[in-house]
Amino acid sequence: MEPIHLFDLAAQQSRWLAVRQNAVSQNIANANTPRYTARDVEPFEAVVRKTTLSLAATAPNHISSTPAEALTARPRKSDSWSTVHSGNSVSLEQEMLKAGEISRNHAFTTNIVRSFHRMMMTAIKG
Amino acid sequence: MIDPLDASMKIAGAGLQAQSTRVRVVSENLANAQATGTTRGADPYRRKTVTFESAMNRALGVSLVKIKGVGVDKAPFRVEFEPSHPAADEKGYVKMPNVSLLLEMADMREANRSYEANLQMIKQARSMQSMTIDLLRNG
Repeated sequence: MEPIHLFDLAAQQSRWLAVRQNAVSQNIANANTPRYTARDVEPFEAVVRKTTLSLAATAPNHISSTPAEALTARPRKSDSWSTVHSGNSVSLEQEMLKAGEISRNHAFTTNIVRSFHRMMMTAIKG
Repeated sequence: MIDPLDASMKIAGAGLQAQSTRVRVVSENLANAQATGTTRGADPYRRKTVTFESAMNRALGVSLVKIKGVGVDKAPFRVEFEPSHPAADEKGYVKMPNVSLLLEMADMREANRSYEANLQMIKQARSMQSMTIDLLRNG
């Protein structure tokens, strides 16, 4: 049977969502800062593609790349809806939309983990 | 590295602090909208402005927001003809503060909106954390 890396994937997804939430918080905190450009993290697909190709530590003195380190989604300039006269490109509406998406995805991921966990428990307990 | 959700709460907290300072400055301006000088030809209250800047926090590895400074508005004062006023000049004109109520209201609304947005971020980070904790509770 093919191993299902579901829990690993779910953990990765929730870590990525936390990093994205962080980026959105930074944008909102700086919503009135002159010359601040809105940021976003790279999409989850890109993060997954990158982490699956990471080098394996085959000897004990290899420096391992910790998953958290590999997942630190680098911020990038987001395609913002509007730029105001002061040079600030944060749109509160857009950020709220992003925040809703993050919340929804996080609820989705945690619910999947819960249901898989329940299934495993059923299999174990009988 | 600190947990991103904890960091985002701290960021939003810095945002709340910045916006509440802005509301404080707005209320100072509104309270002093009629504050003239007391001696002949003296300058009245000058409108205060607040500017933000994004400050890199090395411990958190994120950029917080902080107050860059509270400056003054260099716009000219309004003048009113009121010869009996103690601050009136030789021609009987009194300088009034350069505070525009409409401008202050707009500023207050914007601060209010940004404050709400920051508050929403704190709520959401908290609910995400409790969703994860709930996995343990009835997983």
